[in-house]
Amino acid sequence: MSEGHVPQQAPPGSGPGGGPSGPRPQGGGSRAGGPAKRGKRSFVRKKKVCRFCVDRVDFIDYKKAEILAPFIQERGKILPRRMTGTCSRHQRWLTVAIKRAQNIALLPFAAEL
Amino acid sequence: MEERQYDLIFICRPDTLEPDIDKIIATVEHAAADKGGKIESVNKWGRKRMAYRVQKLREGYYVYMVLKSTHGEVIKELERRLKVSDPVMKYLTVRVDEELKRQEKFKRHRERRAARRPRKVAPAPASPAPAGGEQTATAV
Repeated sequence: MSEGHVPQQAPPGSGPGGGPSGPRPQGGGSRAGGPAKRGKRSFVRKKKVCRFCVDRVDFIDYKKAEILAPFIQERGKILPRRMTGTCSRHQRWLTVAIKRAQNIALLPFAAEL
Repeated sequence: MEERQYDLIFICRPDTLEPDIDKIIATVEHAAADKGGKIESVNKWGRKRMAYRVQKLREGYYVYMVLKSTHGEVIKELERRLKVSDPVMKYLTVRVDEELKRQEKFKRHRERRAARRPRKVAPAPASPAPAGGEQTATAV
């Protein structure tokens, strides 16, 4: 459901605002990045926060496929950090968890045609 | 060597009968006991739809167990048995004790910080002025 929504938040071409450097969003909440230009297009980009940091997750369980599912694309690819806003530590854990889940057929390697 | 904990999941063909699955679990438990391992818990997840086809089947009967052992020989033996067992389509063994330890560590760390924070916060409103005065004094 939400996996279709997440990539739309930040299209791959979105340059500078795409990867905010601070990966620990626990305190800040939603600090809106100010409009870049005054001109025609002014995006107000909401800063993405790591969902696992918000929930204080210490361990990502590979057995819970429904938790991992929003972080893979329809075709089965793992979504990059710049799209989901996951912090680096949690992304590392997440990758391992997804790969384990794939091995035991809880998540697809690639979508079937 | 310290005790290690493993997750062991295997998937049986969906047409396997319940008694046969119990038999597989029993043999696994037996083999583990033989080699000095210990099955902590067995959890039958039941028939689940798999994310992709395995042996041309879309469904499988999942069994999840937690295993403790002090040496890895047990895993070798169990995996060999699961491999030769016909109804088992797929299996996965994951060592989890290190991750659990890490989880514990983070939890403890967080609790310590949570315990410390209110103490720090509490005296601050009680005596804001003296603290401020002291600071300026030292600064000057």
